[in-house]
This record gives sequence, C-alpha cells and structure tokens, in this order.
Amino acid sequence: MTNRRAFMKSGAMALFATGLGGGLPAFVARAAQSQKFLQPYKKSKVLVCIFQRGAMDGLMAVSPYADPALKAARPGLYMSPAATEGQLFDLDGRFGLHPALDGLYPYFSEKRMAIVHGVGSPNNTRSHFDAQDYMESGTPFSKSTSSGWLNRAIGLMGHDATPFRAVSVTNALPRSFYGQEESLAISNLQDFAIQMRGNPMAAGLAAKSFEELYDQTSSSILNRTGKESFEAIKMLNLNSIRNYKAADGVVYPASPLGNALKQIAILIKMNVGLELAFAESGGWDTHFNQGTANGAFARNLKDFGDSIAAFWKDLGAYQDDVTLMTMTEFGRTVKQNGTGGTDHGRGSCLFVLGNDVQGGTVYNKVSSLAKEELEDGRDLPVSTDFRSVFSSVAGTHLMINNNRALFPGWDGTPLLLMKA
Amino acid sequence: MQPLRFIKVFSIGAFFTIISAFTPAPQPGAVMFKIHLPYAKAGLTRQQAAAHLLNRFSFGATPGELDAVVSMGLENWLQEQLQASLPDEELNKRMANGYDALAMSNAQIVNTYVRPDQALQIGVARKLIRRDSIMVAANTAEYRMIVRTLMDSASLKPVIELHRQLINQKVLCAAYSNNQLKEVLTDFWFNHFNVSLTKNQSQQFVLTYERDAIRPNVLGRFSNLLEATAKHPAMLEYLDNASSVSNDNSVANPRLKAQKKNEGLNENYAREIMELHTMGVDGGYTQKDVTEVARALTGWTLYPNSEYGAGSAQRKMLERVGLNTLQQRGFVIQGDFLYRADKHDQGEKNILGHVFPAGGGYEEGMRVIELLSIHPATAAFICKKLATRFVSDTPSVDLVRKMTAVFMKSKGDIRQVLIAMVEQVDFWKPALTHEKIKSPFELVISAIRATHADVQDPFQVFNWCARMGQRFYYYQAPTGFPDNAAFWINTGSLLNRMNFGLAFATQKIPGIRMNWAQLNNNHEPESVEQALTVFSNILLPERNQEQNIKRLLPLVKDVRIGAKIAAAADKAPPPVKDETNMAEDRPLKKQERKALAKNSRKPLQMPYTAGINSPVAQVAGIIIGSPEFQRK
Repeated sequence: MTNRRAFMKSGAMALFATGLGGGLPAFVARAAQSQKFLQPYKKSKVLVCIFQRGAMDGLMAVSPYADPALKAARPGLYMSPAATEGQLFDLDGRFGLHPALDGLYPYFSEKRMAIVHGVGSPNNTRSHFDAQDYMESGTPFSKSTSSGWLNRAIGLMGHDATPFRAVSVTNALPRSFYGQEESLAISNLQDFAIQMRGNPMAAGLAAKSFEELYDQTSSSILNRTGKESFEAIKMLNLNSIRNYKAADGVVYPASPLGNALKQIAILIKMNVGLELAFAESGGWDTHFNQGTANGAFARNLKDFGDSIAAFWKDLGAYQDDVTLMTMTEFGRTVKQNGTGGTDHGRGSCLFVLGNDVQGGTVYNKVSSLAKEELEDGRDLPVSTDFRSVFSSVAGTHLMINNNRALFPGWDGTPLLLMKA
Repeated sequence: MQPLRFIKVFSIGAFFTIISAFTPAPQPGAVMFKIHLPYAKAGLTRQQAAAHLLNRFSFGATPGELDAVVSMGLENWLQEQLQASLPDEELNKRMANGYDALAMSNAQIVNTYVRPDQALQIGVARKLIRRDSIMVAANTAEYRMIVRTLMDSASLKPVIELHRQLINQKVLCAAYSNNQLKEVLTDFWFNHFNVSLTKNQSQQFVLTYERDAIRPNVLGRFSNLLEATAKHPAMLEYLDNASSVSNDNSVANPRLKAQKKNEGLNENYAREIMELHTMGVDGGYTQKDVTEVARALTGWTLYPNSEYGAGSAQRKMLERVGLNTLQQRGFVIQGDFLYRADKHDQGEKNILGHVFPAGGGYEEGMRVIELLSIHPATAAFICKKLATRFVSDTPSVDLVRKMTAVFMKSKGDIRQVLIAMVEQVDFWKPALTHEKIKSPFELVISAIRATHADVQDPFQVFNWCARMGQRFYYYQAPTGFPDNAAFWINTGSLLNRMNFGLAFATQKIPGIRMNWAQLNNNHEPESVEQALTVFSNILLPERNQEQNIKRLLPLVKDVRIGAKIAAAADKAPPPVKDETNMAEDRPLKKQERKALAKNSRKPLQMPYTAGINSPVAQVAGIIIGSPEFQRK
C-alpha cells in the first residue's frame, strides 16, 4: 500500500523514458524533483492468457495423425502431413500442426512454443458453462469458489496494486478474474478517460472537478481509487494509444482477438505495471461442418494463430518478459458426428509460448485412440490435469510457488515444461 | 447436447396435458406491524432519518419524496412498503407493450424464445425444413439466413429478445414501481439465489424464475423462497440437480439401469443450497451432509416442456404413461417441477444429525428444505447478509444477533427480520449513513429517480451497468455479486461512473431523457452558483452540501465558459418545452409577439438550464459522478 504512489510515479517515468509519452506530465516532474529514484520502473513479468470459448477440437488443431483409429473415426475430418490430406506441419512423426497455424509453427521449431495434449479437467462435465467455470475458478469440483485462479495469482505475487496490474480485454470481467484483488476489464483502452462526446473542453473541466471532489471525499475507498484513476489516465496517454504503430511488418488481424492482443501489447510496452492479461477467442463449438484445411474451423484457427504471431512479433524486445498460454474448456469427440462436425468431448490441447518455455515438444500422455482406450468409449481422455500446466507456468514465469493456495484442493505436481 | 434424461417404458398410456399454472403467492392481508424507529436516539433528525430510510429501502428518492415520507410518517411509509401492495399505474403503462413474455408460462417461452440451434430443431420437428438442409457451420451468413427465415415462418423469436424483456422489466420496475422495497428485495434475493443467463440450459427460465420464484416471496417466509427456487427449472438446470439421479430404487425399470452409466449423483445443488443459500460455508455441515442432501434430492427435476430435443421425447413418454399411473408410482408434478420417483435414491439418509428413513420419496426433499430453512446457522447467515445489504459492509455483531433471534422466533419471517433491523439504533448510526456504496444498478436507477427521468430505452441502463462492472443476470458464479464497496470500486469502474454521470445529465444516453428546468419547477436559477445549490439539493437531499458546493463553485465558472462554447457547438439543442403553453393554436397577442421577438434575439431563454450542454446539465453530471452520489 505504501508504495502505491511511488509506483505510479516511476511507472509514468518509465512511460516517458520509453518514448511513448507525449511529454512529461507535471506530477511526474514534481515527483522526479522530490524523489531519489531515477531508474525506470522495474519491468515485471507478464502472463497473457487466451481462453478459447466453445471447446476447441484439439484433435484437429494438433492432430495425432499417425493413429489409424483417428482416420477411421473421422473419415471426413482426417488430416495428415500428406499434400492430399491437408498438409499438416509434422511436429514429431506422431502429431501434426494444422496448416492454419503457420504463424505459430516457427516458434515451435525454435523451441519457444510448447504444446500440451490430452489436457483438461478431472471433472467430466461436458457442459461449456460448467467446464469453463471449473477451469477458471481452478477448482473442478467446487462451484462456490468465489475467486478465479488468476485473481488468486495476483494476490500470491503480492506486488503493489496498480490499476493495470491485471487487465482483461473483454466486455465483462472473466470468471478467472473474480475475487478480491483489483483487476480491470476494458474492451477498449481509449475508453479509459473522462468523456463528453464532441465536447473535449467540457470533458477537461469535468475531469478537473472530479479529481478535486474525489481528492476531498471522506470515503477512503472512493478517495484512494479516485486518485488512482486520475493517475492512471495520465499514465495511459491516450494520444499514444490512438496513434500506436505496431512494430515493422506486423499486421494484427482485424478480429476481436487481434484487437485485444494489440491492446495488451500497448500496455506491455507502456510499462504501466501489467502482470496478468486476459483475452478471449470464440467460435470453437464446431458441431456442424467444421471443415479441414479450409472451412469454419480453419478460418478461426488462422485468426487465432495469426493474432498470437502478430502479438509476439510486435513485442520485440519485450518477449523475454512475456509468456502466453491458451486454454479451452474441453475437447471434442474423436468420432465425427452426423453433421460434419464434432460434439463435446474431454481432452484438448493448449499452447504455451515464451522464451522461458522448453518448447518444440508436444507434451502428452496420449495413448491410442482405439475405442477401448477412450473415455466413455468416445473421447480423448484427460491425461494431463490443466492445473499441472497452469501451475508450472505460474511457478516459473510469475514465481508463484504456493500451488495449494493457487489451486485449493489440488495436490498434483506441475508439468515440467518451463526452463528452470 | 444434453444427455437424454428420461427413458420410460411404462406402457399404460392415458393422454394428458399439464398446464403449468403459476399463481402468485397470495397477497398478504393488511396486517399492520407496530414499528418504532429509534433514529432520534441515534442522533438523526426526522429529515435525515427519512433520507436514510429512502436510501436503503428504495432505489433512491424521487423529487419531493423525502418531504412526503416525512409528512406521512416514516413508520407509515415503511408499513406501506412492507405490505407492497401500492397500485403501480405508471409502471403498468410503461410495460403495456413489448413485454409479452412476462405473461407466458415456461412451456410457452421454451417453444417461442429460442436459440438458433433450437429453432433448427423445431424446424425439423415441425417438418418445416429437412435435417440435411441445416448442415452448415454456425455463425455463417447462410446459417443465419436459414435461421431467420425459419423463425419468421414458425413464429419463433430469438432468445435474446427474451433476455431484453427480462433486463428491461427489472429496470422499469426498479425505476418506477411504488413498491420500492419489494424491488430492492427482489434484487437482493435474486442475487442470493443467483442463476445466470450465461448457462444455456437455464437461460430460458430466468425470467419466470424472478417472476414466480423470487418476486412473490421476497417479504414472506424464507422457506417459501427456498422451496420456490429449489423447484424452479432455472435453478434445477443452473446447479444441475435436474440431472442428479439414482437408479437405486424399485420404481425404475431394471432393464434400463445398466444402460444409463453416465447418469449419477450430482452434488452441486446440494452443496450450494447449504453453503450459499442457507447455512453458509461455516455453518457446521460436513461433506457427508452434502452427499446425503444430494441423495435426498435425486429425482428433483423439471417437467419437460419443449417440443424439440430431448425434452420433447421425454414429455411424450410421460404423456403416454399418464398422470394417474405416475402418481401411483410416487411421481409428483407441480407446475414445471417434476419429482421422478424412478430416479430417486430410496435408501436411508442422515442429514445434520436427523435420520431420514428409507422410502421417504418426495417428502424427504421437502423435509430437507424445511430443516435447512429454519436452522440456526441459516438464521445467522441470512441475517448477516441482509444487514450487509441494508446497513453496512461490516454490520455489528449485536445487530445481526438481534435479527437472528427474530428470524428463529418467527421461523424465518422476512418482514419481522427487517422490522427487527430498523428497530435497532445500529441501523440509524450517523457514522453509517452514506457508508454503503451503490452498485452500478443502484447508481443508475437512483439517478433516474432523482431526476424523474423518462426511460424509453431501458436496455441502455444495462449497457452502462455492464461498463461499470455489473452485467446483471449474467453473473456466472452461484455466489451472486459480492455486496461490498471493494468489489464495485476500481479504477475502471469508477471512471465509468463519472462518465455515466456526464452522459446521463447531458442527455447523451439514447432513450433516457430528463428535463432540468421542470425539476426546478421551471424556475431559471439566477446565477450558475444558485443553479449549483438548487440542483445539489435536488440530487442529494439531506446531505451536507456545503463542502460539495464550496469545492464545485470555482469550477462552475469554468463550466459556464465551457458551456458557452459548447452551446454554440450544439447544432440542435432540444427546446425546453413548457407544455402548458403549447396546447392552444391561436393568433398571438401583441404582448406575446413582442416577447417572442425579444426571445428570438436571445435563443436560449434559460441560459443555465437549456440545451444539452447547459451549465446545469454539466454540473448535474459532475454531481452524479461525484463521490457523494456513489454513496447511499
């Protein structure tokens, strides 16, 4: 608490230092005179999570193509590295990466991206709602856990609260962020200002009035948060957001995910204290005609991969500080259904990208897809608990080592996919 | 796809139909309570006490309401609110059109307001389209076209329209109902027994859940609320009790037992009914109790109402079996609630130290509800939650204890508990007045009420509440929204509260209008300083304005300059109508012509109040976004 304001000043100082700021705000100048610090804000590690809502077909995104049972179960959806069967990127002679993920393939080759397969929840619900709820709360058998796992992660890091410490670029706060630690849901950073449409002068005056009123109020929470809000506005520098130019050659897809990741990149580069970021990707519930190398699934996957690739390139020198992890509530049936799609299943796959990731490997305990090996005779079994992946990433990247607090009721071990 | 929940092969087939008839709980008789409000003892004046009462027992005072409450007597106002039977002409007028779902049964709703995939199922079931013609990927233009055409031809409506009605009726009821306490409590109890539109399986039932399970019971016995929520399709689906079954009984057909291996006990609802709805997490029950309650509630499910999907097949089978046979076999049908004896665990249970002998059937679940509803842990948990909502984020132990005693003595009579609360000095402590932070919904509705705003598009309220962190009806967790300042106030939400104040007061929110001049009885303030005083008192009656005004005064002069620029920029400021002078169409008298000519040289007749960017609108926007207005 005591360092809150000190952070603000140094954060804004860093903003100035990185050249994104349009000028030195007066309060920073004052602070600079009265404080000893001259170092920019110490950059923090950032974890970016992308939730693929609707349950991605992990068997198509990263296909165990070498298993003959797969070809038999989904004759219309089967893909392989063969030119006639979709031309997957062959990862290890057993798994193949969907061609729509061409943007991500180089990171796998460079061993910066890991894939975990057969991952999911021990709770066998096949309801989107319940499975997302369990994955985001991090407690697969308890609905009443009031906090989300990422909110608990914020608390366990124990760093000073800043307005941009945990940001979800979504319309509403995701279940992962529920809890007592402060976090922010904002779909557009440009909304982070006092606004009066078409009347900027009046907006300026209103902002001045509000700042004064909140500065004087007897309610401590309104007083404190009011101060933070106005300092945050000053830190954020809307002009630089409006005029933001991504790194050379980087083009973000004009999609909700592309846009969200771009805003996360801006926050990271501004050094405003971001440590956890969250974005969503939809359209994965492919019950009908999901297609193969082309079609609905491929289009969605292309957007997903290209958005992440653009984000990663745009980060440039910041890549060392960032790990990106994807997740989805469950996978889809091994067998294709009667309408050219797949139904709700169990295990799926996820991606972890970062310079501290031991990449280039498909981590898995996936066995044969023969019917007798499947869960309930139909689904890829969950052989890796999602918590063993999440805890590994949080442990190495965010230095959170209290897994009992991060995932109450879980006593499993983290999957070793990060560099020690 | 949900698993097929019902496979029945009873062969006797007397056709019957079941009409789900929801009758609201009987209106309470005109029982008057003796109420003594010790506000004077706590050090509040009558005016201050009335303001406090309105802040906590309503969604905010309307202009003049404070004086009205003072003159009718605080106790009498409270009596009326506890009876909750005041006529609601304005509300009824506003809801006369566009709210057809509010008069529908669940059966009508599930077969009218549907998701795209359900529309396709209906299309196939009614043989309007062929199954193979719908094999296109969802969310493509072609898919949407097929769905739209089908919906039009089959008189179906998109389920989001149902959600719109649900959301809008909440806004209108809160803003315009005279029975304010009932609406405040509807908000409270819905949140306590939260269900969510985010869950597909329950979303079609949320409207009737609030209408039938919550609103009629908010001032009655707690056990009524508990029973009504337990049996409502929305809750049965939301917390999965609908699919919690046992095949361990003599009713089920033995041939089916082996086939249904995916079925089984689901403890979600059993856990939450104890942890969240009644006893609280520290209420003293064990995991064994949770499992036993789950066993007692096996077979509690919803009557299948849909004419498509799994529900359709289930209903046909129930109809084939026939009501008499079902009843003979121990089935219970109440409206949309169905107790399936063939899916109930018949064994003995032991719950919280009470033995439930084997073969208890449906009555066993009823006994669980009664047991939980009057348990001492429940009384303490519920009373603390009520005190947290109505008094303070951290209510005093003494206050909660006194309320708890009344809860126990009255067997959970919510009215008696509320009376016990306001009869305590702790309710009226000056240090606690204005200490609660309004939820975003409370903020918006209080602004609407304080300004007599005309809400033509209630959905705008939802959009703003979502920006401020309260996407009501969409809260995913069964806990409901936390009720404390720390949850509502963070940098993002606070900025949006300020922006809401500005957008609202300067009439930038489409479909929400207020008339600042009329609020001041069409008196034009003599100066911008006076405008500040006048509108501060209108928006924040009985608060200490001195500080607020002193701080805003230097700023309003700036606002005036800003407003002049802005007024020039206002291309078409809406004229301030004085409707009493607009009725007649007659030749103007000489004097009037003169006045008109004079006024036309001076386009703004009310320089402080007229125009959407007038100083009054801006100052009012700042007051609504100010810290004082966030408190209740």
